[in-house]
Amino acid sequence: MSTEDSQLGRVTISPRAIATIAYQATRQSYGVVGLTSKNLMEGITQVIVKDPTHGIEVKYDGQKISIDLYVIIEYGTRIKSVASSVSNTVKFNVEKALGMPVERVNVHVRGLRVSDMD
Amino acid sequence: MDPEEQEKTSPGTLYQMQKYPVDGQVFKSLIEASLTWLRTNQQAVNVLNVFPVPDGDTGTNMVLTMQAAWDEINTSAERNIGKLTRMVAHGALMGARGNSGVILSQLWRGFARALDNFETLDGNLMVEALHQGRNTAYKGVVRPVEGTILTVAKDVDAEAKRAISDTQDPYEILERIVTAADESVIHTPELLPVLKEAGVVDAGGKGFYLILEGMLRYIKGLPLDVSISSVQPLAAMKMENALDSIEPGQDYEVVVDFHPNNVLNVPQFYDDLQQIGTSIQLGEGDGIYRMHIHVPADMENAPINYIKTLGVVHKATIENLHAQMEEIAREHGNLLQLTPVEPGQIATVAVAPGPGIARVFASLGVSAIVEGGQTMNPSTQEILNAFENLPTDQVIILPNNKNIILAAQAAAQLTVKHVTVIPSRSVPQGMAAMMRWVPTGNPQEVAAEMNSVLNDVETGEITIATRSVEIDGVNVKEGQFISMWNGKIVQAANNLKSATLGLLTKAHADHFELITLFYGADVTRMTVDAIADSIRKKFPEQDLEVQDGGQPHYQFIISIE
Repeated sequence: MSTEDSQLGRVTISPRAIATIAYQATRQSYGVVGLTSKNLMEGITQVIVKDPTHGIEVKYDGQKISIDLYVIIEYGTRIKSVASSVSNTVKFNVEKALGMPVERVNVHVRGLRVSDMD
Repeated sequence: MDPEEQEKTSPGTLYQMQKYPVDGQVFKSLIEASLTWLRTNQQAVNVLNVFPVPDGDTGTNMVLTMQAAWDEINTSAERNIGKLTRMVAHGALMGARGNSGVILSQLWRGFARALDNFETLDGNLMVEALHQGRNTAYKGVVRPVEGTILTVAKDVDAEAKRAISDTQDPYEILERIVTAADESVIHTPELLPVLKEAGVVDAGGKGFYLILEGMLRYIKGLPLDVSISSVQPLAAMKMENALDSIEPGQDYEVVVDFHPNNVLNVPQFYDDLQQIGTSIQLGEGDGIYRMHIHVPADMENAPINYIKTLGVVHKATIENLHAQMEEIAREHGNLLQLTPVEPGQIATVAVAPGPGIARVFASLGVSAIVEGGQTMNPSTQEILNAFENLPTDQVIILPNNKNIILAAQAAAQLTVKHVTVIPSRSVPQGMAAMMRWVPTGNPQEVAAEMNSVLNDVETGEITIATRSVEIDGVNVKEGQFISMWNGKIVQAANNLKSATLGLLTKAHADHFELITLFYGADVTRMTVDAIADSIRKKFPEQDLEVQDGGQPHYQFIISIE
């Protein structure tokens, strides 16, 4: 729970709310075509997930926000560039919405989607 | 190579090119042209960036991606266009940098797939390849954002489909899609509000347009190494950057705001101004144009007189560039005047956490400065390097931070020079000690004298708490300003002003004579002035000095003596 004292009282932002912002940013990020649950044993990979916390893990230790993304990337893109773009986009959007610094965004590439074989 | 082949791969008119089928080698020349043209206009694309994210220079990223594509085919003699574009796609994929680079590599990937196994490119194949490029690029994103390079690719695809009913000629289709790309780029702000707010067009879209336009310019025999004369939004004009490119003989910077009587002929405008000076920029916004130029000393009025012939001048400013350069150099602390030391004299080395503090130490006579402070302790090696080459063997070190004293003492052990570390625990202590320094004299006596005054000065520091904690009996919440007196936390406050005034009260500043405020890199001069006023009100008997310390993280370092 990220907290900040305003003049009238306490504002708390749940990790789930942060995950929603991260989710929207991820969906717009080029090359990322899906999110998947952290634990592969949980079952089937969903290419588009409705639950915004699925595939996104937000941690707040009282000082720093860190976000883990478990993503599926389009086959044939340069994975390193896509991963660095998505982490930049998520960091930028979350910081813009919250006004709080995001310490880390870790991108875990959990699979590739093949639309076209070359 | 026979003369006919020579002609094939060198730029010619559209008419001349039409005689040749587009094979791998022709396409190779087109790729080179698009890379050259993109690079020429790289900065114009970079200034369009809206998102302040690292790695965000779209122009640079796209150039690097195209460069990787070019490196892949640079030495290739491949005539089969399918094989050649596959190499282009492979190079672009391997070198893709940033979001726009990745999308560009996908466009090439789709384009190459459509041409697989074909020897040459004809109109129909070109239309199909552009379509495949668009499709592949769109597949890479769940929710495509319109008003980006994707939209431009889509509009190019649509125009190619329209063009094929009029012509089978790839060169003519290229001409049509370049026009369509241009229009598409101009419309990007209508689709993406963030662009409209910033008053720019989409950078990635612009880059893609330049790639296509570079090919067309090559075919038409137009130059590729001269930047397009462009009009930028006023907000995007980066005049400070222009200072980096001052050429010898350019003494004045002239900026003119004007309103032209007729529609401004931009290329003509640039041509005319190039006769007068360099670093020309043109911006537009709020109904006015702003022109920026660097000119030699006797020419400072020429741009103003020229613009008067075109319209009404609202405002004109002339600034001496050399004066500006000096000011910038001063701000960056490049003009640090360190005291030269002679053999046998006592040299002093001070650790300074900010450029302003370094300047004060320099003015007090130190011979070397080591950058560092609370959050960036210099290493023993860095301290050693600072004095090892001084032409004397008598050295005094002022660590100015309790965490650096040990490193300084370690440095003293590693040298054959006679080094004394004065255990100054703060910048004010270091400065107090420096006041007692004399370059000549008995080193032991000088050091003892410097040591003796360390506790004559009180040190105050103000910073922001990075976590909530109870320390020294004070309850501190993360984000609050904390005041430290001689290294101990004495209070936490919600604003800088009460943190500062509270600190001075706790330190009994009213019993002292002089308060010196070194303000850090994170505070503005305006905030500092307001706080200085309230200090003067509360402590009318004391003298107050305000200095730009430039230290990071610490809003104020305060010396009370």
